Amino acid sequence: MRILLEKLIVNYPYFFAVILFVIGVLTVLTRSNLFKKLLGINIMESAVFILFIAAGNIRGGTDPILDTSKPEAVYINPLPSALMLTGIVVSVSVTAFALSLIIRLYREYGTADARQIAQMRNSALKAADQAGRDNYRHPDRSNGKRGDKNDRSNQI
Amino acid sequence: MIRKIMILLAVLVAAYGVLIAVAELPPYGMSDNPVHNQVSERYINDALEDTGALNMVTSIVLDYRAYDTMFETIVLFTAALAVVITLKSDKRKERSGK
Repeated sequence: MRILLEKLIVNYPYFFAVILFVIGVLTVLTRSNLFKKLLGINIMESAVFILFIAAGNIRGGTDPILDTSKPEAVYINPLPSALMLTGIVVSVSVTAFALSLIIRLYREYGTADARQIAQMRNSALKAADQAGRDNYRHPDRSNGKRGDKNDRSNQI
Repeated sequence: MIRKIMILLAVLVAAYGVLIAVAELPPYGMSDNPVHNQVSERYINDALEDTGALNMVTSIVLDYRAYDTMFETIVLFTAALAVVITLKSDKRKERSGK
């Protein structure tokens, strides 16, 4: 445990990235508001970006912009920064699309709460199921039993 | 409530594993880490000669990986298109379609 802590203190940016990622995962899993879930996904993305950019850093290095007046300068790795630019574009695209989907859901159900939407879908499914059963009921067995009413109640 | 505690426990266990993995990474900020291999050396040493850009990130994004950047714009365009389609698809159409 102590060795782990010492290594984590040396690697503190990675440690912070992991903490940020965990915060994002917890946000996604525990919040039922879809906007907050999306926020959690964005936090996780930021954590990944921080991890990559920190991996490209050198202590005492300078920005990867060529300075001919300082020929002895140590430049940090420009590759992670360039790659994370791609990642940011993908992240923005995914966020925009997810936001539009959430707006559609909100228009359809009047709420952006995942649990409420699941409940509404469940009750709608149950109603449709019941209607289908009523339609298909054979005339001779119109007084048959109506069991398993709650068979979908466990679905989320 | 119990569900939240279970989630917290599961995530913490997973995070512990990730922390062990992160602790075994090469020490942060050292110039002899395997991240700084011949690829980034090549970019740092030859970027000005190859592309004429002082900023190495710019030379990577806009010259060495220009196709990447070009298709990134397609990703962005597709996302914008998807957003517009999602938001503009009409409720009335769906109902009459049914």
